[in-house]
Amino acid sequence: MSDHSASAPSAQRGLHARELTVRYGGLVANDSVTIDVEPGRVVGLIGPNGAGKTTFVDAVSGFTAAEGEITLDGARIDALPPHERRAAGLSRTWQSGELFGNLSVAENLLVAARTGGWRTLARDIFVRRRRGAGDEVAARALEVVGLDGVADTLARDLTLGQQKLVGVARALAGGAEVLLLDEPAAGLDSMESQAFAARVRSIADSGPGILLIDHDMSLVLGVCDIVTVLEFGKQIFTGTPAEARTDPTVVAAYLGAPVEASHA
Amino acid sequence: MGTFLQFVVLGLGLGSIYIGLGTGLLLVHRATGIINFAQGAMAMWGAYVFAQLRVDGRLVFPIGSIEFARRPTVAVAAVIGLVTAFVLGLVVHYLVFRPVRNAPVLAQVVVSVAVMITLQALVVLRFGANNIDVASILPEGTIHVLDVDLPTREIIMAAIMVVLAAAVWAYLRFTRAGVATRAASENERAAVLMGFSPDRLAAVAQVVAVMIGTISVMLGSSLTGLNPDNYTLLVVPALAVLLVARMESIGVVVVAALLLGAFQSVIGLLVTKSWWPVWAQSGLDQVIPFAVVMVILFVQGKRLPSRGSLQTLRLPDVAIPKLKPIPAVILLVLGVAALSLTTGTYRFGVTTSIIVMLLALSYVVITGYLGQISLAQGAFAGAAGFCLSKVTTEWGVPFPLSLILCALVATALGMLVALPAFRIRGAQLAIITIAAALAIERFVFNNYTLTPPEGNPIADATLLGLNLGVREGRDLSRMAFSLMVLVVAAILVWVFIRVASGDTGRTFLAVRANERAAASSGINVRKTKLIGFAISAFIAGIAGCLIGFSRGQLSAESFTVFAGLQVLAVAYLGGITSVGGAIVAGVLGPLGIVYVLLRGVFDLGEYYPLISGLGLILTAILNPVGIAGATREQVDWVRSKLRRGPAAGPSAETGSAAPRKEPSRV
Amino acid sequence: MPESPAQEPTEASREPLLETVDLAAGYNGVAAIRGLSLSVGPGEVVALLGPNGAGKTTSLLAMVGLVRPLAGEVRVLGAPLGRRRPHQIARAGVLLVPDDRGIFYGLTVREHLRLAARKADAERETQVLDRFPVLRKLEGRRAGLMSGGEQQMLAIAKALLARPKVLIIDEMSLGLAPKIVQEMLPAIRDLAKEDGIGLVLVEQHIELALSIADRGVILNHGRVVLTGAAGDLLRDRHLVEAAYFGAEQFADTEGTLAG
Repeated sequence: MSDHSASAPSAQRGLHARELTVRYGGLVANDSVTIDVEPGRVVGLIGPNGAGKTTFVDAVSGFTAAEGEITLDGARIDALPPHERRAAGLSRTWQSGELFGNLSVAENLLVAARTGGWRTLARDIFVRRRRGAGDEVAARALEVVGLDGVADTLARDLTLGQQKLVGVARALAGGAEVLLLDEPAAGLDSMESQAFAARVRSIADSGPGILLIDHDMSLVLGVCDIVTVLEFGKQIFTGTPAEARTDPTVVAAYLGAPVEASHA
Repeated sequence: MGTFLQFVVLGLGLGSIYIGLGTGLLLVHRATGIINFAQGAMAMWGAYVFAQLRVDGRLVFPIGSIEFARRPTVAVAAVIGLVTAFVLGLVVHYLVFRPVRNAPVLAQVVVSVAVMITLQALVVLRFGANNIDVASILPEGTIHVLDVDLPTREIIMAAIMVVLAAAVWAYLRFTRAGVATRAASENERAAVLMGFSPDRLAAVAQVVAVMIGTISVMLGSSLTGLNPDNYTLLVVPALAVLLVARMESIGVVVVAALLLGAFQSVIGLLVTKSWWPVWAQSGLDQVIPFAVVMVILFVQGKRLPSRGSLQTLRLPDVAIPKLKPIPAVILLVLGVAALSLTTGTYRFGVTTSIIVMLLALSYVVITGYLGQISLAQGAFAGAAGFCLSKVTTEWGVPFPLSLILCALVATALGMLVALPAFRIRGAQLAIITIAAALAIERFVFNNYTLTPPEGNPIADATLLGLNLGVREGRDLSRMAFSLMVLVVAAILVWVFIRVASGDTGRTFLAVRANERAAASSGINVRKTKLIGFAISAFIAGIAGCLIGFSRGQLSAESFTVFAGLQVLAVAYLGGITSVGGAIVAGVLGPLGIVYVLLRGVFDLGEYYPLISGLGLILTAILNPVGIAGATREQVDWVRSKLRRGPAAGPSAETGSAAPRKEPSRV
Repeated sequence: MPESPAQEPTEASREPLLETVDLAAGYNGVAAIRGLSLSVGPGEVVALLGPNGAGKTTSLLAMVGLVRPLAGEVRVLGAPLGRRRPHQIARAGVLLVPDDRGIFYGLTVREHLRLAARKADAERETQVLDRFPVLRKLEGRRAGLMSGGEQQMLAIAKALLARPKVLIIDEMSLGLAPKIVQEMLPAIRDLAKEDGIGLVLVEQHIELALSIADRGVILNHGRVVLTGAAGDLLRDRHLVEAAYFGAEQFADTEGTLAG
């Protein structure tokens, strides 16, 4: 974990995506998008449906090919496969949760903490296991997101809201420098959503930088330090939440520009 | 040059059959998303009916037959054969494929493999295992082109099949139902929203596919004769053709099918030349389709299209195993008791059951835990078995070392087969692995320079002066050998449970559940697959070595593709996700204890393949978690009843109960 | 608050074409919408609005049988859908244009039109294509090679060709330039009025949707939070915004989430 309280975040720390462009066939899904997520900051990424928000997260986390430069703590990561970006400290969640439904919550978290390999295989076979060795890893991650009593539940038996939270916990398990949260609050009710906002803030205060995508405007505008707005793949606004709320282009992108009412 | 051209034309006969099967495969895949491994077997049945009518005027049904006083004419026999194919297509669609339309890919592959095993077994029972000669339907003769005499039959046959494939193409292009089939294969939900029933379209496609396949086999069998194994397995090169056509283009299917047929024929010519290396004379006709598919996969580089459907069900659940001393001891005691209370063939049956259990366990690793469909486990076992013959008789490597060494050879082979799994999964991986298995069988096991036909003896194992051989004098099944098998199996099961319950098992399950979520959690998906194939092939290799020791001598027939598929059948039947399932599979498996009982007590040994095939079809449709899984569910259900009282059912509602009241602002 | 008009659909005298009665629906037994009651009559245009995740698409899928109700029911022409399968519901005249537009990239425009009408219907085809003349020029073109706007026109045209009783359109404006949407929506509205089709629109462009609709229904967190005559909702824009953004945010723009 980074220790951001000791020194002001330098330009190199955290995630810096420079002029990221993603094309699907003829469609430009991300058009030269630049976003910086510094340690301890919460950056909001909003925009209407189909604006290219998830595409941006996919590109940064390595699930979609993109042009442009991505650095994490000063090191280029844009050529790495997804699992190596994760190992470097860039973690993401998925819009649809994407938990391992057939595993318990604790096991979901352990998957991220212990990723396997030949050495793990040898250890599995030959080394005696401590009982409950993984429990504290899971417990710690669950505590951060404020879930308890679900460690042994199968992931698919959780409510959607709980699944989203476990997704966040899984992204944190094993350590993360920067967290990309893709619509973590969709499906939460407004109470849960507010509680979640407080969690996001406290996670950021403990070190990692966070990129938050959500449609719940009160969540995004309330919790973020900086907000970036995408429309049709273009970055149309970057600024503070207060500025976003009054910016005419942002309001138009979300609610549509006022039109002449054709009603009588 | 003249001979060359003759062989090219001769190859068109085989190519025509590939057109028939490949077009059918494409049509069924488009309409249902299912890759039908039984396409060859289904096409063969109608052709057998036709051929038998021509031979002695008997009309054979799956049960019973009618004898015509006079042999029917070619036309009548052909019509009866086609009607049979029509009925078969409908029956298989409505009874077998329709129920698994939204099932996991694994269940679909297994169901079609089960249909293949069942029909092949039924053909052997009803028509016999030997080649039937079929009088030619097509006029024989030659035409003189460019100073060469070319056979007309192959040319006419190819022309007929091209026309039929063109008819299927026209159906898909110009009829409303055909256009809807294409539409549904791209976006089934949208087709449903326009009022189309995908079921109806699928039934039509299935019937057309079987009929065009049947025509090609009827025509083709008059060139080669009919043989249950060969025609069943002709689906493999046809599947290769399907992959080449990216499951989309009938035009490419036609061209690729004819090229492949011609190419195989020309290879048949070339291997007779004196400059051709002796070691590479056998099985090239199977190596080529495999090589073609591999090259295409790597050249194309991107994923083959797969057909979307409305919904998919989950794979059977996995209960992470724990090492429990008491059940382990009970099982061991049971094993020892079963061995010591039996003698002769029955003890041999029990021993074989233990070995088949290991083979089934290798499926549990690769399919149950990692979610990858491999049809090559039998080939891994065989590779280790033949290696054992070399290692023990020629190099004199002593017992435990020889076992491990040969299992490692299988492991290496397994890791090689894992490479395509980096790019593809699901049914397409099943195609690659069955093509690999067939290539290994024909190129290695049937290759007399590598595995001499006079036999591949395996020296008996000895450990510290103790004779672990299977036979001595009149004792055909020595206790020492059986105990050795039991101990080896126990060690492997122990290792499996360590791995499955450890960090490795968890990464397997994560990859099985969701590859991209696994990658985003930091798992190296490729390496994980490599490890899974390695472990699975190692276990299969050990099983292959034990089969070798138990026979004392191996031939290509010891490890046929069908034997491997039968083990898959019982592994799925038992429950592909657990050790318990593997044990059930061992008991039910080929040459295992149930087989010995069927043969010895009820004299039903010849029905064994049919029974296992039908059992598998029923299991895959009715009870996708397998026998062991169903038992576990029932145990869990009883437990939950005891714990919670009579109210709780097996699927107690966990979701939202009463809707919350919220103040309405309306 | 816009109160009474919500209860009085414009064509109250006629029987509704499609009704949902206290409908709850969702996935894996968990409700994504609850207590949804709405109806659409002949020639009526209902705009179903709300932020993402509010349950709009789930509502639509339940109306065409792709999601089974957990409670309540859906009625078409007064008859409950019961266990009818989705393709049977489509044949009964309730057509959904899903948010992926429900077109087939590998098929040409002509092939789409062929699929849409069970029997060749030249008169209707002329009528529909007159509304979207650009499709005439593209007849031989594959849908995958057309622009987003052209694809959307094709999606609507093929639905109209089947002479639906109820047409449900999910997020027509997704990925389309606002100008195209502003041209298409009124055209669709006019056709619906002409033919007496009941039209249900899910839209993110609230202004535009309300400007052509008769009624607006706003969902949030799976429930109806606001309904009213479209004109009223357009005038009381702050109410709509409150329903979207959460009222507390607008009551107290800064304070609540400081900790």
